[in-house]
Amino acid sequence: MSQNQQSGDEASAESESLITTDVQPAETNRRSRSATILETRDLSVYYGDDRALTDVSIEIPEHSVTALIGPSGCGKSTFLRCLNRMNDLIDACRVEGEVTLRGKNVYDEDVDPVALRRQIGQVFQKPNPFPKSIRDNVTYGLEVQGKSATDEDVERALKGAALWDEVKDQLGSSGLDLSGGQQQRLCIARAIAPDPEVILMDEPTSALDPVAASKIEDLIDDLAEEYTVVIVTHNMQQAARISDRTAVFLTGGELVEYDDTATIFEDPADDRVEDYITGKFG
Amino acid sequence: MAVDRERAGAGFGEVSRVKGVAFRYVSFGASIVGLVALATLLVYVFIDAFDLANTNPVWLLVYFLTLVVPFIGFCLYSAGDRALTRRTALVLGGGLVATAVAFEAIELLITPIPRLTWQLAYLFVVVAPVVSYVVFVGAQKPVGATGFGLLGRTLGGAVLGTAVAILFIVLDMRLWFLVFTLGVVPAGAARAYGRYRGSGRALGLSIPVGVLGAVAAVFLRDVLRTYPTPPFIFIWTFGAPIALAAGLFVLNRGGTRRSAAAVGGVSLAAAAVGTVTGSSALPEGSAVLVFAAAAAPLAIHLHGVLDAEKGRVGLVLPVILGGGVLLGAALVGAFGIPGPDPWLDPGYLTEAPSRTAVEAGLYPAIVGSVIIIALVAVLSFVLGVGAAVFLEEYTADTGVVGAIARIIQINIANLAAVPSVVYGLLGLGLFANLLGFGFGTAVTAALTLSLLILPITVISAQEAIRAVPDELRQGSYAMGATRWQTTKKVVLPEAMPGILTGTILALGRAIGETAPLIMIGAATTVFSAPSNVWSRFSAMPMQIYAWANFPQAEFRYGVVAAGVVTLLIVLLSMNTTAIIVRNKLERDS
Repeated sequence: MSQNQQSGDEASAESESLITTDVQPAETNRRSRSATILETRDLSVYYGDDRALTDVSIEIPEHSVTALIGPSGCGKSTFLRCLNRMNDLIDACRVEGEVTLRGKNVYDEDVDPVALRRQIGQVFQKPNPFPKSIRDNVTYGLEVQGKSATDEDVERALKGAALWDEVKDQLGSSGLDLSGGQQQRLCIARAIAPDPEVILMDEPTSALDPVAASKIEDLIDDLAEEYTVVIVTHNMQQAARISDRTAVFLTGGELVEYDDTATIFEDPADDRVEDYITGKFG
Repeated sequence: MAVDRERAGAGFGEVSRVKGVAFRYVSFGASIVGLVALATLLVYVFIDAFDLANTNPVWLLVYFLTLVVPFIGFCLYSAGDRALTRRTALVLGGGLVATAVAFEAIELLITPIPRLTWQLAYLFVVVAPVVSYVVFVGAQKPVGATGFGLLGRTLGGAVLGTAVAILFIVLDMRLWFLVFTLGVVPAGAARAYGRYRGSGRALGLSIPVGVLGAVAAVFLRDVLRTYPTPPFIFIWTFGAPIALAAGLFVLNRGGTRRSAAAVGGVSLAAAAVGTVTGSSALPEGSAVLVFAAAAAPLAIHLHGVLDAEKGRVGLVLPVILGGGVLLGAALVGAFGIPGPDPWLDPGYLTEAPSRTAVEAGLYPAIVGSVIIIALVAVLSFVLGVGAAVFLEEYTADTGVVGAIARIIQINIANLAAVPSVVYGLLGLGLFANLLGFGFGTAVTAALTLSLLILPITVISAQEAIRAVPDELRQGSYAMGATRWQTTKKVVLPEAMPGILTGTILALGRAIGETAPLIMIGAATTVFSAPSNVWSRFSAMPMQIYAWANFPQAEFRYGVVAAGVVTLLIVLLSMNTTAIIVRNKLERDS
């Protein structure tokens, strides 16, 4: 993405940023001042008796990229899975607090988690296309909603995932025949085909090589024009590059700091965040 | 340090591998001993079934030269490997001498070998393995793939068609005609329309329409009095749909409309030929089904071969085999060489048991076995897959439900170890007595055998479902799919190869069971094939068991051996189907 800008701003970035690599924080505040779409209040999650998340409160603005970073086991993925109630599938998991999507608490009695998930797409760490044709992968979301998918739907979703040009002649072949990076973009196409409001990404590039990863990063930037993206990442440079806002979780499932990405990486309020970002801890 | 340097100066030393080497050879011996024992038994059964022990060696030589040698030549030509050709010739030639010498030496010095000659020993010990090996190698190359594909598909189609035709001995052909016309055709049409127009409503309607049509057919069956002739029913319900499916298959694979029409036409023409030939022991008109089922895969395969432009030479394989048989027969006839008088001949397969060994046949038992297996396949597949899906996908791991599921799980594993006689007792008490399905009827037998293999099907289906990666389920749930949608669209298609393999192997066990059948009072010998599922029947293992107790030696050796070979052929073809289906599905996904 911003290779050129990066080198141009190198000097200033180096002097200000706490992280050692020459990364320019995303076009700051581009979209982060828009209305809140997702909000959590005092969200706590328990696996049996273990507490995985502690009173997390966060407001995620519409049409933005929000990065969740933190050391392993700090509850980032758990938090992400709370947003579309994928944690319901784990028997021992118990959720307290509120998650609201456009003001409606998704943990209310009258909310059907299956219907909720049709509003929120998810992309996983390991590319997991279904062992079906590329077309069937893309139309899966519409199909389970009982809608018939047209060729235009398929084309729009694949174009949205920047995959169309590579696969337009082989829509009937298996999604598993694609390369890892292509598979992950197919998963993104699958997620955006039913036109959700929010897309959750759980370390979408960690299983990919750097070239494929940078393609996905570019894509995420484009996706934020239309969708709200929440992304978990282990890669701090990635968070700095692509996100508008960053939330830092630390061990114990605690949200330590949540602010504009530039602020987090240049002038964090919390010493522990500074230590984590500079690599002294975590 | 000094010590280290000394060691280094003395080389690296040696590490003993004696235990490992010993273990390797013991393991090899253990794996081979069972196979050798079984192979020896099968060789003797085979010799008895085909009366090879009394065969004139010249007769064997004639057919060896006219049939086996050209066949091996074909495989070697396909393999196109000079080294292999040389090795094959060496093994065949050297094997001849070695077998003859070893055989005579054993006979002279140690002990006479009963019912074997050195020529037969050569055939079984040297020729059979060599042939299977060159077939295996040759079939990998285009020429062999073409030839064996041709034979395999035609034969497989014919066997499948015959199996379905046998079912019509007990099924009501006219009811099937109505169900097909009123239920299957409209449902298929709705489905095709829905696919074509992208209309979800038409797709959703297809199942209710089909069910409604089937119900209407059941009512109309008693009202309607006139029906088309059986050959027409088979043309309409099997010939035409098979031809249509073959044509569509070719279209789907990228063939032109003309070739699709040709493939469909050939299939339909073959079906039409079936209307004029007799149907032998099968229901009237069902030759249509057998012919169509054999011709459709043959036509599709021919189309593929002619399209590929590679390995067309392989199409001569049937000519080589047919020519070999004819030439052999001509030579044998010209020189008046007496051939063997096999117990396993067409009459054996199409005639009823008899008091005399020469006239004895297995026909009613074969029909009984096929009908029972069809019922067991449906029952155990539905119940087994249902139970496995419930246990794997629908139960929680914790809480009361989780505890119950674990208890069920443990009990299913234990049930797999319960002796089959006990299941027979259960069938006798529950199905025959309590529910009144009758002693020794096909229904009682099928239900009992389904229960017997249910644990195996459940466990194997569970394994297959568990092997579906969890990421796929997560992906599906995250797309907003319900549990049922996830199971139906993602989990089951992915698990199907494993489920089918497990089920068919379990069916193999069911087809050979004797003890439960004895317990539920199945007849050892019946003289006519069962006419419906409520009639008394016999199964192949029962009949074989009965013959084995006959006082005449001809029964105990010849007739029993022929029955065993028939049973094994049925079993092997079932297992082959399982393997082919699994490979096919695995390649597709």
